Amino acid sequence: MMRQKIQFATAAAACLLLAACATPSDPPPPDVEVPVPLPEGIDFDPDLSTEPPDDSCDPLASYRPGSVTAEEARETLAEPDLVRIGISQSTNLMGYRDPVSNDLSGFDIDIAREIAERLMGSADAVQWVPMTSSEREEAVNSERADLVVRTMTMNCERWQEVEFSTEYYHAGQRLLVQSESGIEGLEDLTADHQVCTGEGSTSPGNINRLSEAQPVTVPDFNDCLVLLQQGVVDAITTDDTILAGMAVQDPTLAVVGEPFSEEPYGIAFAKGNTELAQYVNGVLEDMIEDGTWAEIYERWLATPLDQPDPPPVTTTYQD
Amino acid sequence: MTVQSPPAPPQASPPKTPGAPPGDSWVSRALAALRHTPGQLRGLLTVLVVLILGAGVTGMTAILGKSAVIEQTTSQSGRLSVAALQLYQALSQADATAASSFLTAGTASDTVRITYQEALRDASVALTTAAGEVETTEDAQLVAEIDARLPVYTGLVESARTFNRLGEPVGATYQRQASTLMRAEMLPAANTLQSNAIGDLGEARDDAASFPWIAAALGVLTLGVLVWSQIWLSRKTNRVFNLGLVGATVAMIGFAGWLALSALASASHTERSHEEGADPLELLSEAHIAAQQARAEESLLLIARGEDGDAADRYAEQMTQLTGEGGLLEQLNDSFGDDSGLSGPLAEADESASAWSDGHDEVIKLAREGSYSEAVDMAVGEDENSLATSFDQLNEALTEATDISAERFVGATADAERSLSGAAAGLAVLALLAMVCTAIGIQLRVAEYHA
Repeated sequence: MMRQKIQFATAAAACLLLAACATPSDPPPPDVEVPVPLPEGIDFDPDLSTEPPDDSCDPLASYRPGSVTAEEARETLAEPDLVRIGISQSTNLMGYRDPVSNDLSGFDIDIAREIAERLMGSADAVQWVPMTSSEREEAVNSERADLVVRTMTMNCERWQEVEFSTEYYHAGQRLLVQSESGIEGLEDLTADHQVCTGEGSTSPGNINRLSEAQPVTVPDFNDCLVLLQQGVVDAITTDDTILAGMAVQDPTLAVVGEPFSEEPYGIAFAKGNTELAQYVNGVLEDMIEDGTWAEIYERWLATPLDQPDPPPVTTTYQD
Repeated sequence: MTVQSPPAPPQASPPKTPGAPPGDSWVSRALAALRHTPGQLRGLLTVLVVLILGAGVTGMTAILGKSAVIEQTTSQSGRLSVAALQLYQALSQADATAASSFLTAGTASDTVRITYQEALRDASVALTTAAGEVETTEDAQLVAEIDARLPVYTGLVESARTFNRLGEPVGATYQRQASTLMRAEMLPAANTLQSNAIGDLGEARDDAASFPWIAAALGVLTLGVLVWSQIWLSRKTNRVFNLGLVGATVAMIGFAGWLALSALASASHTERSHEEGADPLELLSEAHIAAQQARAEESLLLIARGEDGDAADRYAEQMTQLTGEGGLLEQLNDSFGDDSGLSGPLAEADESASAWSDGHDEVIKLAREGSYSEAVDMAVGEDENSLATSFDQLNEALTEATDISAERFVGATADAERSLSGAAAGLAVLALLAMVCTAIGIQLRVAEYHA
């Protein structure tokens, strides 16, 4: 009897011991990294070609205005009493919705309004077609838009896809940095610097070719400003017009250095629609001549770019 | 049990006489005793006591185990799954309302801002509750990940709001980045936490609904042995009834009946709690969350000024999940459309969801045509035909259905708990009674031999 009790007690003790071992000891406290909000699709090490751009053509050469009348130009529109203009609604100073009034504003918008007024006889006969930069070529060729005025650089690749007007603004790629960062130009960038830029544009290739800095690409260049403000990247590089639109939103930022690329902006039309291009070229010539162009520049870009005199615009024709 | 001599060959073993087995083991003594009636009676008593004890203990443990599991569904794992669900919903709602409120900032219709603040409070409360209930390292990690991101998220939302009020377009980018953080990191973590908790609940459901087979088998076996003993005894003693054993039989019948009834009743209440409560609750919460996320994407589309094609895709994905063929609303209507309580709110949810979906196409058309202000008005305005109205109606209908289902879940769980109340104590008393009756009945017979 005694023996049984001892056996039972031993078994019970063994069970308890097992149970005690099976219970996990206090788990370690959770290990959480500091959360850094990043935009979707950010690439800290994009695959970029270092090939120089295609210069087999003269991207500035468009079609001579000739004698194309507004009426003839209107006949090329998908709807004769409405011109549909592709624009950006999110590029500050160039084409954007004013956050307070929700109105479309900017340099590109005013240029487009002026064209619409001279083409249609009224600035109200416009349908604005908001689009991303990657949609521009497709939009004019699929008749979603009759023309696109959207910080579009003319180059030889794009000339294969669309027709361009003459140059209506001459932009150049520059750097946007924190004023106190000590970076004053391209030459101050080292391999330790991360430079943010929009993917799919010419900017990441240029910075990759011209400096040692590490390009970081994001799907939408507006994300770059948030990344710079949060200290994730050291600089932003893209066209000076777009950088100026960012700089005016934050007094601690500055656009620095000399332009290190040529970005001639043109208005895009469907491939083959040279008549509309000719008419618009005539309008652009008039606008430059009668001072409307200088007025629009003065309104949007003179102060933010800190350049009272506009960069010279080259008007050349291929015919 | 010391064996000092080698075992004797079987032929040489002398016939064993009762009461005098010098140096022999207790087993052979017991075997010897079983050749005589008093010994056999004592042996029978031992077997019956062991069986009754076995049935009693297993029956009690099974019932106590069920009670504990049911209690757990209303306490720890229940609280965790409710908290995880509330967290997931509150975060989705915060994101949807932050985005809408960004669009209405500064206007009179900025009432969504208050909903945003409430959603944030709900999320914080749910996080605190979940943190107190988590039991695994994985869940604790999830709660910590969400907790660490919540202030970052609100920081981004407030930056967005401030920049927007200052008229700086970068506010829109901050708002989009806040939503990305929520969508890419916080909501998936909340979703995982919720599925973990629901998995625990499912296990508890199976435990609570299982039938106590061992206890039932032991009870039936005990009854069989009791009946057999009475037949055997009546042959041995020529007396028809042994009152003690009859009493024990009655007690054991009561035992088996109570055990079976309470187990079946609690199982059926538990099933009901899931079919009428937990199942619709799960579908409803998924529908709620899909609606909130679709709404967030819709606002983001407008915040990105129509220049975010991914937001359109994500909206379509959520909306298909909600209203598409075989989608959540269809599943809900198929399963609960005939339910008198749920059919009303479900029909209303269906109606407002399709109104919303149609209106969305109109908003996108307006935005694509450049009528941005009209598109925003229609999306977040207070007009009767605005998407905000349809969305609010959908939200209300889903909330109503959720409340009904939650009430049913609580009711059925309470019923399941009640059907088990007293069963453990009652079973113990009956088993004890059966044991005492058996002992008395058999001891009386044994005593006759010694008299």
